[in-house]
Amino acid sequence: MTMKTKNILLSLLLVLCTSAFAQEAPKGDVLFKGGTVLTITNGALENTDVLVRDGKISRIGKGLRAPNGVETVDITGKFLMPGIIDAHSHIAGSAINEGTSQVTAEVSMEDVVDPYDVSIYRALAGGVTSIHLMHGSANVIGGQNETMKLRWGQTDPDMLRFEGAPRTIKFALGENPTRGARARGIQPQSRMGIEMMLRNSFSEAQEYEKRWKAYNASKDPKKVAPEYDLRMQTLVDILNGEVLVHCHSYRADEIYMLLKVFSDFNIPRLTFQHANEAYKVAPELAAFGATASVFADWWAYKLEVYYSTAYNAAILHENGVLTSINSDSGELIRHLFHEAAKTQKYGNLSDDEALAMITLNPAKQLGIDNRVGSIEVGKDADIAIFDNHPLSIYAVPQMTFVDGVKYFDINNDKADQRIYIDPESSIEEVTLFEKMDYNHRCMEGAAIFFGQNLINHQH
Amino acid sequence: MKSLRKLCLHAVLLLSMSVISLSSWAQSDPTGESPVTRTYALTNATVITKPGTELKETTVIIKDGLIQSVGKNASIPANAQVIDASELYVYAAFIDGMSNTGAKRPENPQRPQNLFTPDPPNFYAGITPENSVVEQLDVESSSIASLREAGFAISNTVPYGRMLPGSSALILLNDADHADDIIMKKDAALFAQWVGAPGAYPGNILGMMAKWRNLYRNAVQDKKHSELYAQNPAGMTRPENDRVSQAFFPVIAQQKPVMFNVDGVLDVRRAMRLRDDLGFPLIVAGVEQSWELADELKATNTPIFLSLDLPDEPKASDDEDKSEEMAAMEERRMEFYKIHVAQAAKLQEAGVNFGFAVGSVRSNSIWKNVQTYIDNGLSTDAALAALTTNPASILGISQVVGTVETGKLANVMVTTAPLFTKDAKVKMMFVDGDKYEYEVKERKKAANGGDNSSATTGDPVTGSWTYALITPQGDQGGKMVISKEGSNYSGYLTSDDGSPDTAMNNISFRDSELAFDFSIDAGGQSVQIVVVGTVTGKTYDATATVSFGGQDISMDLTATKDEQ
Repeated sequence: MTMKTKNILLSLLLVLCTSAFAQEAPKGDVLFKGGTVLTITNGALENTDVLVRDGKISRIGKGLRAPNGVETVDITGKFLMPGIIDAHSHIAGSAINEGTSQVTAEVSMEDVVDPYDVSIYRALAGGVTSIHLMHGSANVIGGQNETMKLRWGQTDPDMLRFEGAPRTIKFALGENPTRGARARGIQPQSRMGIEMMLRNSFSEAQEYEKRWKAYNASKDPKKVAPEYDLRMQTLVDILNGEVLVHCHSYRADEIYMLLKVFSDFNIPRLTFQHANEAYKVAPELAAFGATASVFADWWAYKLEVYYSTAYNAAILHENGVLTSINSDSGELIRHLFHEAAKTQKYGNLSDDEALAMITLNPAKQLGIDNRVGSIEVGKDADIAIFDNHPLSIYAVPQMTFVDGVKYFDINNDKADQRIYIDPESSIEEVTLFEKMDYNHRCMEGAAIFFGQNLINHQH
Repeated sequence: MKSLRKLCLHAVLLLSMSVISLSSWAQSDPTGESPVTRTYALTNATVITKPGTELKETTVIIKDGLIQSVGKNASIPANAQVIDASELYVYAAFIDGMSNTGAKRPENPQRPQNLFTPDPPNFYAGITPENSVVEQLDVESSSIASLREAGFAISNTVPYGRMLPGSSALILLNDADHADDIIMKKDAALFAQWVGAPGAYPGNILGMMAKWRNLYRNAVQDKKHSELYAQNPAGMTRPENDRVSQAFFPVIAQQKPVMFNVDGVLDVRRAMRLRDDLGFPLIVAGVEQSWELADELKATNTPIFLSLDLPDEPKASDDEDKSEEMAAMEERRMEFYKIHVAQAAKLQEAGVNFGFAVGSVRSNSIWKNVQTYIDNGLSTDAALAALTTNPASILGISQVVGTVETGKLANVMVTTAPLFTKDAKVKMMFVDGDKYEYEVKERKKAANGGDNSSATTGDPVTGSWTYALITPQGDQGGKMVISKEGSNYSGYLTSDDGSPDTAMNNISFRDSELAFDFSIDAGGQSVQIVVVGTVTGKTYDATATVSFGGQDISMDLTATKDEQ
């Protein structure tokens, strides 16, 4: 048997094995040749190659050669950057809010991942490789979020998980949770009530933890286990720093309030989402070590979001607050590189600083910066290729890789990318509701119309 | 005083005796409907004893509710009714994996006043695993006879309700005076589905997944506590009598499976995820999207009842000027229709021993839909197995049913031609040894029971309708149930996606125009939808209009009246 046929047989066998035990996400090998590599942590490297082996960046340098069987992608004249990470997204979820209770720490977005949502592909086409699929903002303590890799085409939801990413949870302050609660005639009806609900919940969790510690320590053969409560257990995990909190917020006073609550309960890590008025309390955020994930220039969609500035991200950054820019939208997610560029117009951030807003900084906020967010040897090969510098208004994403596997290629972009189509669906040119609801799902579930959402809800 | 009491006693005795004798007269048949004998001989039949095994010119003897013998030289008992079956085909009667056959939908639980939505009472949250479908059984239900006429003798009937409605039961599809007469096995499975509480916790899949984990883990603790307490209670806190928790005990002990009614692939995966987390025995039923799961079902040995509900075959637009894009989209839609109807074959190929769930499919569509699966690659043997031996084994009753073999329950179907051929019609059914005959020439008409069509009620709108609301995101379907008291109509809409029922208000019907409105909760704000349309025979074509933000949005709503 010649070497060649042996190789073919071997690779056939490998293919068979992976399809029979489809437990591991696919990983690729590829050599990117001759582009400008935007490392984020080590500036821009011109005319540089990046070698990917088994889904990881294995070498960065000049004149690298492709090992046997590794495909070479010529990116001469193009730009290679780490895949974009969206720290606030609601795409690819079958449900967003369990809004019936104002504390639902026990629920988790990992249970509702929808790998069939074509928004995943659209995000890839914008250079995005990871998202933070968040629970909605209808309740004070919402559900746990899911950090995902956009492995489009995989239909087992577990295959889109960012393996090993820390657990995170959604909190929400201000108008959204009070609006939902008022509609249901339950607490909290005001910002004061929100603070009390947070403090009460954490205090209850401390009591819960005490009960279990006492039970576990007891040597009494007649001991009886305390009632198990997944909600309380999750809050205990937050108190113990095992679950990172991402809190929907707008106003400076509520942001400052939460800092005090977290100080009182010794919870070290906290990211404020939206945080349009965070610039007013930037030094306080920096002192606490809290981080912010904001819009570039989006506000005035409800009363609590009027007092805003496009300099928010830059001010926070200059004050030493780790800041990212997010989309919270199935549309904005496709051009987060434009959003990052706005920090150069409003705040004169450097290229690295601006790009970090959509790569390394969100990675840090999600606790995955040891794996993604920059182009460094040993990191996951989650990579976006652009034809122009991604901070240029002329930039168009060309290819997107996750773990070295290509999931988007502008030159092989078929018109219909859907991976499931309801045979009984009607085919229409225009859909009225999509125009209306504009992909915003923050308050979904708060409005129910046979499972469909009619109202134009807001973040 | 004493004598008076004695007199009373006499009266009671007399009365009860007369009741007894009355009922025994009923047994001995003043109506003339009871059979002369319950011993039957089907002679010279073609007998398909089980999938793939066919005996020619064979006689099947049925006696005392059992198959007494299957063979060429059977001696026919003197009291047997001899049926010349030389032109007929004998099969084991079908077994339905999941439906509400024989169950009556209870009234929706009333929303309690001052409902505390984060923690509603169990009855409102739909967490009633301690209940059983037995309490919902109605022997008069026409669903029993109509499913029998489609060849079924047993249904795993599940209770109506929300996320944990209670236990299912295996019922024999017999005419009976009392529910106990048809119950073959109580507590067949703990029934579960993804139906949240309307406007209360758990409201959707997020909350239900968490609620399941919480309920189950507490039940595990409670079970352990109860067992320790039973061994030696002195000095130990008394276990609470928690009926919800206790309902999980046999499941935790692996003695009773959880049957999840899950149609979409993601909903199936969610049930399997819970199974993997918590460790209970699982059956998935009513599955409409199984093709991506075939290998996983096989590897994890998960029993599955595939839905008999198939999508309608999509029709391409005959517009000659349609765009290329439109044509391409139609083609892709057809591609997924083909995947749907080929999934039974896919399961067969993967070696999954699946059954079928009747669900809410009308009994006169069942054969057609099985045929569609066959036309798309399912072998006839595998189809027969999915209707007989596989469900028997999944439901743990293969010792007594599923094949035509000596000693089995006399659940037998007799057809005029080999199954899955064009001319095959049910000629006779035996259920638990009771015979039912069907007039083959006039289809649809049952020998007993007769045809009580909805026309007898005299009102063209009362009854149950299947509606579809055409929204840009796809169809929303369910039942539209209208009743009339005096001159006033009332009604409600159910939703196939598990959303809560919605009351129909201001129903009016005049000159074949049916109008009503209903309200939905949009974030605490009530939004009204007005439906106006025309009833033509058994169809209703209407427009549903919602006024929103000063704008009117119209959608089509169509409905077809259900066969009663």
